[in-house]
Amino acid sequence: MPRFESDVCIIGGGISAVFAAQKLTQLKPELNITIVEAGRRLFDAENRMNYRRRSLVYGENAWPGDFIEDQGGAGVISRTMAVGGSAMHWQGHANRFSEEDLRLHSLYGLAADWPIEWAELEKYCCEAERRIGVSGVPSPHVEDKRSESYPMPLMPLTYNLAEIKAWAERAGIPFTGCPQAKNTQAYDGRPECQRCNTCMICPTGARYSPDYTYKQLLASKKITLHDRTLIQRLIPDDRGKTILAATGSHAERPDEPVEYRARLFIVASGYAWTPHLLLNSQSSRFPNGLANSSGLVGRYITGHYFITAQMEVNKKLYPGMNEPYPIISREYFRCAPGKPFVRHDIQIFESTAGRRPRLKSESGQFLFGDDVVNDWRSRTEHGVARVRMYYDSHPSRESSLTLDPENRNHLGDPMPKVVHRMDDAAVSREAATQAHIQNIYDRMAKANGTKILSVSKSNYQDHPSGGCRMGTDPSQSVCDSYGRTHDHQNLFVVGAPTLPTGGCTNATITFVGLTLRSAGHIAQTL
Amino acid sequence: MRRRTLIQSLVSWISIQGSRLRAQSTSFPGRHETTLKELAATVLPESLGRAGTDAVAIKFVRWVQEYRVGAEMQTGYGTTRVRYKPASPAGIYLKQLDELSLGALAANGLAARRRKIGEALQAANIEDLPMVPAGAHIASDLMSFYFQSTEANDKAYMAAIGKDQCRTLKNSGTVPTALREETLNASLRK
Repeated sequence: MPRFESDVCIIGGGISAVFAAQKLTQLKPELNITIVEAGRRLFDAENRMNYRRRSLVYGENAWPGDFIEDQGGAGVISRTMAVGGSAMHWQGHANRFSEEDLRLHSLYGLAADWPIEWAELEKYCCEAERRIGVSGVPSPHVEDKRSESYPMPLMPLTYNLAEIKAWAERAGIPFTGCPQAKNTQAYDGRPECQRCNTCMICPTGARYSPDYTYKQLLASKKITLHDRTLIQRLIPDDRGKTILAATGSHAERPDEPVEYRARLFIVASGYAWTPHLLLNSQSSRFPNGLANSSGLVGRYITGHYFITAQMEVNKKLYPGMNEPYPIISREYFRCAPGKPFVRHDIQIFESTAGRRPRLKSESGQFLFGDDVVNDWRSRTEHGVARVRMYYDSHPSRESSLTLDPENRNHLGDPMPKVVHRMDDAAVSREAATQAHIQNIYDRMAKANGTKILSVSKSNYQDHPSGGCRMGTDPSQSVCDSYGRTHDHQNLFVVGAPTLPTGGCTNATITFVGLTLRSAGHIAQTL
Repeated sequence: MRRRTLIQSLVSWISIQGSRLRAQSTSFPGRHETTLKELAATVLPESLGRAGTDAVAIKFVRWVQEYRVGAEMQTGYGTTRVRYKPASPAGIYLKQLDELSLGALAANGLAARRRKIGEALQAANIEDLPMVPAGAHIASDLMSFYFQSTEANDKAYMAAIGKDQCRTLKNSGTVPTALREETLNASLRK
């Protein structure tokens, strides 16, 4: 069996893995670090303009090869299996959580507090923003005080967004451009944004994706990267207190196991595949999997639901100027103690809802030629805004990722099954939360004399996280605030899985901030 | 052994079908170039002029010829299911062009042609324009090909929005320049 030895073995090759590796190489250059990723490298940035074109005109996958055919599951699971992970195709929204996310129990008697102070995490959010390259302006709310400026100036508002901002603020709610992991000036070897309108596949590299950092680390020979290698199990030592090895196989040699030995293991496989690996590492000695003396591996899977309204704007707008870029309000990030609990963000995008070309008129007649154009034009005098609110909805213990014995991959491993369940308090306030959000839509419409065209609630939780939640009590958590598992001293979990609750806004900066804090601690222990 | 024979037969059949479809894609539209241009002149905006609708038809031919059977498709958020592009629509399109050349496009006058194409779309249960051509009917696919484009978006708004075109951050905040029909039609023929 091929065996590879290193000081640190990082399992999973997404955004948390790359920043854990980058920071470790800076703090401890002598460390030998190996990253093992199940998916392949998609380092062909030179082809992205063509992938983007084919995605637009043929509906093809903009990231060809970013998956493993039978490495899937049931529930909300990102398909991406590639070096760089889901952050290869993220939209680059780089807003932060707030202090309230970390103090839900002590402030409101809800869910669980995080075992970390906001003042400390905030510094790591700044570090995440520096390493990623984030453009933004400070929030107008004093509670959102920052310890550092954003690395780059705010992405300029398009004409559309400036009009939408004026429209939204008539309801008395302040908005700013949403912080973006997109360059408003050349940054870290990558160019300024060109507003290509397809941030999911940025053809220029202005929107951050982890492949750029991987390439830097590989070029300087600071890490070893084994891609297309799926780690299936972690092997503990005889006493069970430390992890001895990780085993798996290469995609082209599934019958030939490989083994990775290291002084320390970091599982950075995201919210789905991290608990999956720990559960799949079950043995007669650990029948419930590793790091699972609490029984909480795969539990408290979290995220946030959202409600979206399409709303008429009483100005002519020109959709297509920069559709993925929103304005954001953090007005409702904090809730006064004693008041009914509700927390959410508000993000507003330009929209084409009801403003697309159509084949049939209102009366059901087929339209052809200039009639299509005229019908389309007649609907463009007023614009549309997509107003989306992510709201805080806390998980119950039954919100879970489990192994599904009925669904196995080609190696015979059971695949994950994810079921999101809110806790009782979140369920009981759901109607009030929805009414509160509807009231904001009504206020915006009334303030402008415009219509709400549609309102819909998501049927899934966005930005999923959790499954290995952190805490101080080993009976109530899987790992400590640095991600060190309570059960195995040399096994860390970093990033998304460690979150006790999923917040009410995009989570990547928080995932990376937590990972950077873990990496600093790990460097001290080695 | 029998199973292996079956698999070999299937592989062989798929290979032959694939070759046939590839041949149809690359030779598209074959003898129907004029029919396709007539169809474009019928369903696309008259204001583009005949040169404009011909130019869209030629671009659509390239689209069909560069279609890739089996290419991975975009996936929805949070799902691990992988889907692949189905067979090239070239064969279906050729059959439909055959029918259109004898039916709808043989009718006298633009209004009559459009009415008959509407009937064909009705018979095919087509209710709206797809985001990208998907092989249901060549008339609605050709319309989708044009109307979902940057050029059509600019035409509808009579403004140089340049949807999905890369540009600089400069002038982000200014209203897009107003365009005239002549400018729009000239850009289409490039």
